[in-house]
Amino acid sequence: MKIIILLLIAIVTFASDTVHFQSKILEKVLSDISTPKKLKIWTDDIKILNELKDHKVLNMVNHICDSNLVIIKNKKHLSKDCKADFIFVLKYNLLNEIPNSFGAMFWKKGRPNIVIIEPRINKQNISISKDLEPYLEERVW
Amino acid sequence: MVKRKEIFLFVILIILAGLMIYIYSYIKEAKVEMFNKIENDKIHQVIDIYENIRETTMKDKNISTIDDMFNFLSKDQNRISQEKKIATLLSPSIKYIYLLMRDKKGRFRYLLDASKIDKANFYQKFDVDSPKYDLVYKINKPQIIRHKDVENLCLTYLYPLSIDNKVVAILSFDITNYLKQDINSLIKPLESFFIILMIFIVLLIIMTAIQVIHYFVTRKKIFTDPLTQLFNRNYLQEIIPMLNLEHYSIAMLDLDRFKSINDTYGHKAGDYILSQSSQIFKNSIRDTDILIRYGGEEFLLFIYNRNEPNIAVEVCERVRKNISKNLYKFDTNDIKMSVSIGIHKKPYLEKNINEAIKKADKMLYIAKSEGRNKVIAFEDNMVLEDEKSYDINFVKEAILDDRVICYYQPIYDYNSNKIVKYEALVRIKDKNGDIIYPMSFLPNLKHTNIHYKLTQRILSLIFDKFESTNKSVSINLSFLDLINKDIENTINNRLKKNLEFSKRITFEILESDEIENLEFFKEKIKFIHSLGSKVSVDDFGSGYSNFRTVLDIEADYLKIDGSLIKNIDKNDKDFKVVESIIHFAKVSNMLTIAEFVHSKDVYNKLKMLDLDYMQGYYISKPIEKLATNEDLFKD
Repeated sequence: MKIIILLLIAIVTFASDTVHFQSKILEKVLSDISTPKKLKIWTDDIKILNELKDHKVLNMVNHICDSNLVIIKNKKHLSKDCKADFIFVLKYNLLNEIPNSFGAMFWKKGRPNIVIIEPRINKQNISISKDLEPYLEERVW
Repeated sequence: MVKRKEIFLFVILIILAGLMIYIYSYIKEAKVEMFNKIENDKIHQVIDIYENIRETTMKDKNISTIDDMFNFLSKDQNRISQEKKIATLLSPSIKYIYLLMRDKKGRFRYLLDASKIDKANFYQKFDVDSPKYDLVYKINKPQIIRHKDVENLCLTYLYPLSIDNKVVAILSFDITNYLKQDINSLIKPLESFFIILMIFIVLLIIMTAIQVIHYFVTRKKIFTDPLTQLFNRNYLQEIIPMLNLEHYSIAMLDLDRFKSINDTYGHKAGDYILSQSSQIFKNSIRDTDILIRYGGEEFLLFIYNRNEPNIAVEVCERVRKNISKNLYKFDTNDIKMSVSIGIHKKPYLEKNINEAIKKADKMLYIAKSEGRNKVIAFEDNMVLEDEKSYDINFVKEAILDDRVICYYQPIYDYNSNKIVKYEALVRIKDKNGDIIYPMSFLPNLKHTNIHYKLTQRILSLIFDKFESTNKSVSINLSFLDLINKDIENTINNRLKKNLEFSKRITFEILESDEIENLEFFKEKIKFIHSLGSKVSVDDFGSGYSNFRTVLDIEADYLKIDGSLIKNIDKNDKDFKVVESIIHFAKVSNMLTIAEFVHSKDVYNKLKMLDLDYMQGYYISKPIEKLATNEDLFKD
C-alpha cells in the first residue's frame, strides 16, 4: 500500500512523462495480481505497449489474439474473435461499459486513480496482494 | 601590462554583480509575494461565497448531520442543483471544485463535483496523494497542497466543512497556474534583462579575472631573475616608490673573486655558484627582508630593521658565514666562496635611494679592499673621500657640450729661470661655469669607455693647442689609456706626421699595480719613444715605485711624488729620500722634476739639491692660458 502511495506521490510531484509513470503503476498493479493462467498482456495504448514490451516479468504480446489480459483505452479495440480472459481499463467509465473488466487505472483531475472491483475479481479467480486492497471497490459508482 | 585600473574594475564588477543579484532576488521575492496575495484573495473569495451557499442550503434543507447531507446529495436533483450553484465559482483560475467525504474505511469519495470537465461520479473513490486530506479531518483547519506537475494546477485548497465542530466533508478546489503564467510572462522580459545583464557582468568578471591573473603571472616573470629566482632590478624600480627607507637598511653583497670561477671552471660553474649562493642568501635572511639580484654577482639586500636598528650587521654576518662555510660541489670540484658586504644602516638619511645604494656600494668597496669576506657598515661619522663626486653622465654631457678643458701648470727650470714645458691638467666646466677638478669625476670613470673618450678629447685639445706653437707639454696617461687601441691610434695619427711637434711632448705615466704585464708596458713605452716623444714616470717615490721598471723602460724624466716634496723643508727624511732619487736619476741619465712646490721654503730647500725642474703653486697655479715668466711667483 505504502509503495503505491509513494509511487502516486512521486508521480504527482515529479512526473514529467505521464506515460512512463502510468506504465510504472500498471506494472505494479499487474505484478500484484495473480490469475489461474500465466498472463499474456496486450494493450491498445501503443505508448504503454512500447514502454512495457521489454519488461522482464510482464509478458507483453503484440496481438490481442495472443493475449489473455487486455488493457483497454478504447472499447472499440476489443476483439469479438479473440476474447480476452481478463480486461483492465484505462478509463473509469469503461468499468461500466465493459461489465467483465476487473479494474481500472485512470487520471482524474490530474491525479492517478486505481480501482479494483472486488466481485469481478472474485468471479474471475483473480487474487490480489495486500498492496492493492485499499483500491478495492464493491461496485462501480 | 595590466595595472591597478583592472583590479579596480574587477572590484566594481563584483559589486555590480552583487547588486544585480540583489535586485533579481528582490524581484523574485516580490513576485512570490504577489502570487501569494492573489491566491489568498482568490481563496477567500471562493470560501466566502461557498459559505453563503452552504449556510443557505443547510438552513433551507434542514441539514444538521452528515447523514442528512449524504441523503440530500445522493438525490440527483439536489446534487445537480448544488453543483450548479457551486459551479458559479469556477473561473479560468479555479479549474475544479468538489466536495469530498471520508468513508468508514478512510477512503475519500466525491459528494459533489461542480467541475465542468473531468467530472467524477457521485461517491466515486478519490485516491488522495497527500496526507493533508486526513490532516483537515484531524485538526479542522484548511490546508494547502502545492503542485508542481499536476496538469496546470499550482495548488489545491482544502476547506473543512464542519457540523457541530466536527469535520464532515472537505471542499476542495484546484487553482490553476494560468494567472501565474500571465504574471510570469509579464515579468519575464525584466527577468531576462537581469539574467542577460548578469551573464554579461559575469563574463566581464571572468575576462577581468583572467587579465588580473595574467598580470600577476607576467609580473612574476618580469620581476624574477630566471637563474637565481630572486627579484631583479625591475622589481627594485617597482618597489622604490612604496619602500619606506626608515624601516630598512641597505646592503650590497658581492661574491668574491667570482670572475675567476667563470674563468677557471666555465660559465656553467659560475651559474651554479650564483644559484646556490642565492639559495644560501635566501635561507640566511628573514621573510621581511628583500633580496634583489642587482647585477652579475652583485646582490642588493633590504634588511627590515623596524624595532631592531642593529639587525642589519647581524643578518649580513649570518649571510657571510653561511657562504664561507659552504662547500660548492661542481662536477668533481670542491669550490669555496666568500662574500663581501657593504651596509648602509640608515639609508633614509640620504637624498634618495640611489645615493644610499651608492654609499652601501662604497662600503662594499672598502670590504673588498680590506681583504674581502668582510661586512663593513657605514657609520654616521664616516666621511667618504669622494663625497662630492660626479657620475659618468656628467662627464658624458661635458664631452658632448664641449665643456672639457685643460689648465696648464708651468714646469720651471730654476737654473735658467725659464719655463721648459707645461703640464696639461684636465678640468670640466659645469653648466654654471664652475670649474670641476678631476678628483671629483675621474674615480667614477675607471674602467669605463667614457674614460677613454675623455682621454681622447684631452689629447685632441692639447694637440690642437700646442701643435702650432714651439712650446712643450706634458700629458698624463694611465697604463690603461696607454694600452687602449683607440688612444694609441689617436697619438700615432697626430704625432707621426709631425715629428718636430712629437719631440715637444712628454707622456707622464703613472706607476700603478695595474701594470701587470711588464713586457707589454715596455712595448708601449717603446712606441712613444719611436715617435720621438718623451716619457716621464709620474709620482715616483710613492707606493710601489720600482727602480728596475724605471730603468727598463728608459724613462726620460722622474717626477718626484708631491708627498715627498711638500714637507721637505721640515722633514730631513724626505730630504734624504729625494736626494737619493735625484742621485739615482742622474746616474741613470734621467732628468728630475719636483712637484708640489707650494712655498718659498720648499723652493729654497729644493734649490739645495741637484734638481732639474720644479712645479707647484709657489711658482704658478695651473691656469687656462699658457703662463709666461711674468706670471711666475705672483701669489
